[in-house]
Amino acid sequence: MIVKGRLWRFGDDIDTDQIYPGKYLPLTDKVEMARHAMEGTDRGEEFIDNVSSGDIIVAGKNFGCGSSREHAPVAIKGIGVAVVIAESFARIFHRNCVNTGLPILMLEHTKSLVDGDELEIDISTGLIKNQTRGTHIQARTLSALELDIMQAGGLLEYLKRTE
Amino acid sequence: MTIIEKIFSRAAGRDVKPGDYIWAKLNLVAMRDFGGPNVIQEYEQSYGTQSVFDPDRVAITFDLHIPARNEKVATNQKILRDFARRQGTRLFDVNTGIGQHILLENGLVKPWDVIVGTDSHMNLLGAVGAAGFGMGTTDIAGAMYKGKLWFQVPETIKIEISGEFAEHVGVKDLILTIVKEITTSGALNKAIEFSGETVVHMGLSERITMASLVTEMSGDVGFIVPDERVLDFIKKRAKEPLEKISADEDAKYSKVYRFSVGQLVPQISCPHAPDNVKDVAEVSGVKVDQVFIGSCTNGRHEDLLVAAEILKGRKVKEGLRLIVVPATMEVAREAIQSGVHEIFLASGAVVTNPGCALCTTGHPGILAPGETLVSTSNRNFIGKLGRGANVYLASPATAAATAVTGQITDPRSL
Repeated sequence: MIVKGRLWRFGDDIDTDQIYPGKYLPLTDKVEMARHAMEGTDRGEEFIDNVSSGDIIVAGKNFGCGSSREHAPVAIKGIGVAVVIAESFARIFHRNCVNTGLPILMLEHTKSLVDGDELEIDISTGLIKNQTRGTHIQARTLSALELDIMQAGGLLEYLKRTE
Repeated sequence: MTIIEKIFSRAAGRDVKPGDYIWAKLNLVAMRDFGGPNVIQEYEQSYGTQSVFDPDRVAITFDLHIPARNEKVATNQKILRDFARRQGTRLFDVNTGIGQHILLENGLVKPWDVIVGTDSHMNLLGAVGAAGFGMGTTDIAGAMYKGKLWFQVPETIKIEISGEFAEHVGVKDLILTIVKEITTSGALNKAIEFSGETVVHMGLSERITMASLVTEMSGDVGFIVPDERVLDFIKKRAKEPLEKISADEDAKYSKVYRFSVGQLVPQISCPHAPDNVKDVAEVSGVKVDQVFIGSCTNGRHEDLLVAAEILKGRKVKEGLRLIVVPATMEVAREAIQSGVHEIFLASGAVVTNPGCALCTTGHPGILAPGETLVSTSNRNFIGKLGRGANVYLASPATAAATAVTGQITDPRSL
């Protein structure tokens, strides 16, 4: 699966309160949730006003740390982000992405990916083509079990099909 | 094998090693008053009115927005009560307390168990040798349906602790020091085992404090081998027979840390990251607007007792609000019987109903922009308690001393 979009750069330790502030936790409508994606970060407003469908988030270490709220990946996916690339992901956030179908890739060094770059990414192989800089980078994809769950349409669909 | 390798081997029905992906059988699935309604929405969208895998192994707890503070919250709570009635699951309503503590007090947790829930501090169940995991709504919906979930078996970090605490220094100071050393991402995808002579002497409430901060190091779960006192606590309440648990002699650890507590001084985590830890003395004098004593980390009776010893015969500083919240109704009643409750009231504190309280935005007690809170809880991320508030994390002793002086205070200096 190939995605193309603009790169939005975020730092290390972006926690779920920054991705999806706690005051919106009572929301249950996914469209409403999406309007608050990344709102608590230092560039929340700029991101929400300008992000386009297919865009890509690149972050440093431990993306999605903090609480177990699934609103976080649901909001990121809902606002149109095609894939999140990070040096590492917090465990619960990582699971929530697999289970809700927000693609993620792991990349040890993300420094060469600059805010505003245009990327073309093959989510199933992890190959990142930086069209702005003319470079290629190989990221790590999910495990076979996780890709199975994502491809089934998420955990709940997967469990329906297995006994 | 380490403790988590043993637990996962049993739950998967085969010998596992770190890195393996497994499907593990679950002993209990829990959800709470936020997150819970989303779980039910997901569940019913996928599975309609089908029964949960085992109603006795599904527990709904109310601990965050309790009692309901507005119509939206009240509606969410009604969704949970209706679901519990329809499905016959266990329900612990607004008169009980913090979920994990309620599960412990009701004998629903024992060594060897694999338990998942919507609370990110489910891993504090490692305090009794159970593997607790905080998860998102889809995981919990799937867990309720099938009674099993996928996991990657983590490697284990061993933390050995020796020495005796000095006066007014305790396990919260120790675990903050450990968080400082390991950092907020240092235990990512790892289990932790706490061991050593200092740990052996810890009571249940202290073990809970230790295990709860594993989340703040991004760890999966943190275990302490249950001693006779902990096993007795469970045995009195458990619905099923108990089995002891410990790691094998030849268990392999990815890293071993050693800490000695003899020279440890009171510690405080400064805004806005749990690993931004300093000696209390380094920041003493910072003006504080509010102090919170409670939470799943420090809300047991033993924690309240430490604070009450400092507050006894003293008054909360004029202009500062002290909010005390027992973890559970059982703790609240212990506090009334022991006289601790009266000490808080006499000092000028507000004592509220049991629950999570000031651990997240949404509970009464939120701060205005620019205000400063000293909290005995476990997180101080930006926005956690209102945008623009400064949150410091400390021990019940430091929190109580701070409440008396109105500024961050080393409890040894009172």
